[in-house]
Amino acid sequence: MKIWIEKAKTIFCAVLLFSGFAFNVSAGTLHFGGEVNAGNITKISTIMNDPDDYLATPVTIEGTIVGVCEKRGCWMSLASDQRFQNLRIKVNDGDMVFPMTAKGRKAIATGELKKIELTLERTKTVMAHRAQKAGDDFDPSSVTEPMAIYQLNPSAVDILE
Amino acid sequence: MSSTTNWYKLNRSLHRDVGYFCVGLILIFSVSGIAVNHKDDWNPNYRVDVTHIDAAGTQWHEENDSELILQVLSHVEANVEVKASYWSAKDEFKVFLKNGNNLSVNLATSSITYERIEARHIFQAFNRLHLNETKESWVIFSDIFAGLLIFLALSGLFMVKGKYSPLGVKSLWIGLGILLPAGYIFL
Repeated sequence: MKIWIEKAKTIFCAVLLFSGFAFNVSAGTLHFGGEVNAGNITKISTIMNDPDDYLATPVTIEGTIVGVCEKRGCWMSLASDQRFQNLRIKVNDGDMVFPMTAKGRKAIATGELKKIELTLERTKTVMAHRAQKAGDDFDPSSVTEPMAIYQLNPSAVDILE
Repeated sequence: MSSTTNWYKLNRSLHRDVGYFCVGLILIFSVSGIAVNHKDDWNPNYRVDVTHIDAAGTQWHEENDSELILQVLSHVEANVEVKASYWSAKDEFKVFLKNGNNLSVNLATSSITYERIEARHIFQAFNRLHLNETKESWVIFSDIFAGLLIFLALSGLFMVKGKYSPLGVKSLWIGLGILLPAGYIFL
């Protein structure tokens, strides 16, 4: 019996040891991926004014984190310098995992801006959601053209303290 | 002592010791596997409690963010530090607190949504390992672990001789273990 208790203790300690490696330390700056290009930040509003101009080369953006993917941590929304505007940064599941508790902290992200062409149906859904959020009325028949949305696929992200 | 007996003894000893070594990781991966399998039903990394507060009758200070923050906080809890605030829409103002919680006020309806976030530390740690968020060295370790699991599976076939060996009636279990996943793939 005593031997079994000792074995159980060893196993329990091993589990704790392994899990200890994996704890996410949330204090201080959190680094994901490579090095951010903090010396060359472009305002989100500048990018969103002419997003197609920024598709070819990597860009670096900065903003307060105002949204995080709750279950996978696979995206974050960064607030723009312009009111009501934000830009989503999105990674493949597991490539970077952004903590939900990072909301409200500042982040710098370097990566490529991607253009996603929506179908007309999807465009209506997105527009309806935006109108609902803004408290505006929305008539789906008023949308006749599909739109595109933009998101940053980051190669490096720093979440600042 | 015959060489056959020795081989069986060695196989059983290795199976036992490798099994002991793998217990911790098998538990971690199994628990995390169940957790992330059901991520649509619950959040495996955070406990999020959402409370809706009716603040009807409040005259919101929309032109002054600092005052607006104080107004919002007065409806929830005192002595909390504010990390940042953000206007997500013309009627929607968000306040992010240093303790990780968040507030969102809809000025049109005077309703406040209070989101309390609490990390599930153990699950988070297990999930980080399972989903390989730590990368690099963990990849090597996971590969070794996968190899050990393969060894456990194969060595398990040679643990018992005679009536209960995998060549006897117990082969039904092996067949079932292969047929069930095969069924999911091909049916």
